[in-house]
Amino acid sequence: MSGAELQAILPLGILAGGIILVMLQIAFRRHLATSISLSLLTLLATAAAALEGGADMPVTPLLQADSFARLFTVLFCLAGAISTLLSTDYLGQRDDEPEEYYLLLLLSSLGACVLAYASHLASLLLGLELMSVALYALIAYPNKAPLPLEAAVKYLMLSGAASATALFGFALLYAGTGSLSFTGLGQALDANPETGVLLPVAAVMVVAGLAFKLSLVPFHLWTPDVYQGAPSPITGFLASVSKAAVLVVLLRWFSDANLFRFPALVQTTAVLAVLSMLVGNLLALLQDNIKRMLAYSSIAHMGYLMIVFAAAAAPGQRDFALEAASYYLIAYTATTLAAFALLTMLGAGEGGREHCQLQDVSGLFWRYPGPAILLLVALLSLAGIPLTAGFLAKFYLVGAASGSGQWVLLGSLVIGSAIGIYYYLRVVFYMSRRPGEYQSRPGMTRFWPVRLTAWLLVAAVLLLGVLPQPLLHYLASIL
Amino acid sequence: MNLIALVPALPLLSATALMVTTGRLPRRLVAWLGAGSVGLAALCTALVAAAYGDAGGPYTVHLWTWFAVGGLEPGIAFYVDGLALVMMSVITGVGFLIHLYSIEFMGEDASFSRYFAYMNLFVGAMLILVMADNLLLLYLGWEGVGLCSYLLVGFWYRDPANGAAARKAFVVTRVGDTAMILGLFLLFTQLHTLQIQPLMAAAADEWAGGGWLPTLAALLLLGGAVGKSAQLPLHTWLPDAMAGPTPVSALIHAATMVTAGVYLIARTHTLFLLSPAALGAVAWIGVLTLLLAACAALAQRDIKRILAYSTISQIGYMFLALGVGAFAPGVFHLVTHAFFKALLFLAAGAIIHCLHHEHDIFRMGGLRTRLPLVFWVFLIGAAALAALPFTAGFYSKDAILLSAWEADPWLWTGGLLGALLTGIYSFRLIFVVFFGEATHEPDRRPGWKMALPLSLLALLSLTGGAISLPLAPAFPVSTGHAVNHTVEYIGIAVPLLGLGIAYLFFLGRQLPVDALAGRGVGARLRRFWQRGWGFDTLYQVLWVTPYRALAHLLRGEPVDALYNLLAALCRQGHRGLAALQTGALRWYATTLTFALVVVIAIVLRGAM
Repeated sequence: MSGAELQAILPLGILAGGIILVMLQIAFRRHLATSISLSLLTLLATAAAALEGGADMPVTPLLQADSFARLFTVLFCLAGAISTLLSTDYLGQRDDEPEEYYLLLLLSSLGACVLAYASHLASLLLGLELMSVALYALIAYPNKAPLPLEAAVKYLMLSGAASATALFGFALLYAGTGSLSFTGLGQALDANPETGVLLPVAAVMVVAGLAFKLSLVPFHLWTPDVYQGAPSPITGFLASVSKAAVLVVLLRWFSDANLFRFPALVQTTAVLAVLSMLVGNLLALLQDNIKRMLAYSSIAHMGYLMIVFAAAAAPGQRDFALEAASYYLIAYTATTLAAFALLTMLGAGEGGREHCQLQDVSGLFWRYPGPAILLLVALLSLAGIPLTAGFLAKFYLVGAASGSGQWVLLGSLVIGSAIGIYYYLRVVFYMSRRPGEYQSRPGMTRFWPVRLTAWLLVAAVLLLGVLPQPLLHYLASIL
Repeated sequence: MNLIALVPALPLLSATALMVTTGRLPRRLVAWLGAGSVGLAALCTALVAAAYGDAGGPYTVHLWTWFAVGGLEPGIAFYVDGLALVMMSVITGVGFLIHLYSIEFMGEDASFSRYFAYMNLFVGAMLILVMADNLLLLYLGWEGVGLCSYLLVGFWYRDPANGAAARKAFVVTRVGDTAMILGLFLLFTQLHTLQIQPLMAAAADEWAGGGWLPTLAALLLLGGAVGKSAQLPLHTWLPDAMAGPTPVSALIHAATMVTAGVYLIARTHTLFLLSPAALGAVAWIGVLTLLLAACAALAQRDIKRILAYSTISQIGYMFLALGVGAFAPGVFHLVTHAFFKALLFLAAGAIIHCLHHEHDIFRMGGLRTRLPLVFWVFLIGAAALAALPFTAGFYSKDAILLSAWEADPWLWTGGLLGALLTGIYSFRLIFVVFFGEATHEPDRRPGWKMALPLSLLALLSLTGGAISLPLAPAFPVSTGHAVNHTVEYIGIAVPLLGLGIAYLFFLGRQLPVDALAGRGVGARLRRFWQRGWGFDTLYQVLWVTPYRALAHLLRGEPVDALYNLLAALCRQGHRGLAALQTGALRWYATTLTFALVVVIAIVLRGAM
């Protein structure tokens, strides 16, 4: 590997180096504050290095350094840093001393970043497994309670099955084209357009494996159980980073290999999109557990996002669809993290129990107006109300769907969003109940870095909704 | 021009600060923030206005584009020409005086901070309305002032009547707003832009031949203007809106918000000029409104309701001016009206403040000697309202009547009759409140924070006619016309006649007013006018009762069934799907396999 190539993947190098550093530090001398500081520093340095820019070039056949990869590396590292901060507060309230926890979080972030750079099915698998395996352990970390363990085991087993499906797909693709790289696959398909049945089936197996990670209907059943069982900061990470990373690599694979050429494949993504939008929103409708509600809502949001695959298949619409997807991912990540930040900030109950029932937030406006505004902004953004990030994100998808004439998808988007308003506002109603109408009175964290982060997230969600033009310009310029 | 962006930003920032601190700031600081921000905005406006003459030409300040997606590019941008500058000066200048006055008027109110937060938010929204360079941003300001009007009318929310008045104001204007947003949709789909200047150019280009499209668009915008400016048939909310604190009535329901409709028509006058029918509708709505409201003002007993009907009537004059194509006189009257009507409201507020919240004019009396300052400024205000010679109101109303004469003598006759009625009700107010027997002893005198705004506004009401507004490039130049002197003399004489009649009725008692209005037809007419021509009853019978009856009829069955069915479907769907979430790993794995088979089947079917 040449020096220029190393420079091109500098962010990944910094992240990996930081991981080794934290590992050594834990091996030699256990000290929680040092581990946390090193983790935060590593993530921020990685984000800074990615923000700095660099050359657009392939680095070995496995990775492709470009602005797209760097943009999402910044996003994932910032999200990782926020999750780290939330975790210190979360675990601190529960008297745990887990240095390795932060190491695992770093590893999972590295997996997500590798996915952003991946241009080869091998690196895709590597990134996916790195991210997921670290997550299994993170989900199970609070080992005193039964729920996290159950969630981890469920995720491990089902995720393994999904990975196996995707791997089978890789093998079939290799058998059919002799190539594992994204562009190689595209060239092979260009050279021999008469593909027969094998290749589309192989591709859809990969899509199915990744659809599990995205929890698209009908691969979604694990989602609420795992979301509910995992510690809140990890649920936030799982809901935002792990979803976004998989979607980023799926987008890159589809556009580099031009898989939009298989109508049946595009049709499958559209079916998954419609099912996810409707089923996800319906499942969230009467949910009393906010974490489960957000899990179902994430199913719906991934369904909205899948619209871009059908939209990008229309001639001349690809750049706009990719722009829409990128903006949506950024907006969705910020919003989701904001929502889970609030759930983390609510103090722990007896035995480390989490406060995530609707009644736990009732009267929140009267007791803690600041945190209540945080959740309000996050919910409004998830519902797609103007002047928040979520509105513009949805506006983009509507533009993409109508521009490519995907009326069924657009109709599902509208119906799904309409149902969505109900359960998002339901939380707001609970929050605005008068004092005295509620029984549960969870405390609120006093840890100032978490509070600051929460306000920064609110600012980001609003800024993305009010002043998004610089980001939109940037997105348009890199696609 | 960063100063331009500062003008709306200052009150908005102050409003945010006051809202975030939720009344925890000391009163002195609240007063400084609330009035100071508007004062600074007025200063910025003055600097912009001073530079405007030298640099010339309108300024466009593009702050940022909200987003540019799929052909829609709503900008956060301001367009400041002569018209906008005039409106900005009125809003910040008169607004500042009213804020200053409020510090004393609201001094003992428990929700002092909330009051100034809403007032500042209102000033910010109103500035956005008049400065917006596109109709979408204008609409934001439009809805913003509507919201603030709702909040401030219902400011003393513990009394349910105030809440009802606030809701009425909000719902009735909403009818007009709905027409307006439809107009915006129509303009955007037909002309593909919402930026006002390009939009007007495009309208003049594409709709030069007339036709029904410009008429429809203009009428829809007129609907919005009629609602906001309390003109027939959507005027019923304004008298009730007097439930708010008096400075609110002065700022929102006299000087600024209610004239937003006039501003909208003046701003889009190119569109209205394309449709003679719509323009004629504006003129006739104006004349009918001014006559009806002036009659209603004659019969009221509540000092604020008299002024409210008078406001409706004076805005009718502005609509009349716009409708006959005299845009500059219309806006001129808007400005002078802002001076003298704000003055009258503030003076009325001073009376109410000093007389234990007494509103009934027949229980005041003899205040001339007890509140001399209030008497003199009220007299100046009433003189300007009645358009007695050499007051500000005279110059603007005279210009309107002359333009009306040239357009249609019938319109002129209506305007003249209105001027006579205005003279009568203005001086009825003066004679009843300030002369005669004293019944109440005021328990305090207005302090300097009240006296200063009153004096300044009185000065403006006297001399405001001499201000020349920089409106020339914004409107089509009116051709120089030969002044018909007879018409002018009649215009001067009629308000004096009104004053004389009021004297005979209410001071000299030469004419038996009680006998006239006390029994028979006179009494019925008085009651009818007091109820504002029975519009509330009419709407109650025409809309509210049938609507309620219909709602009662349909309660539960059968229209709701559809929606209940939808909700039930959703709930059933939720239950059915939630039943699949068994939590059993075995079942999850099975569905995973099954789902895989399904997607492969879809692909196989497509590929075969």
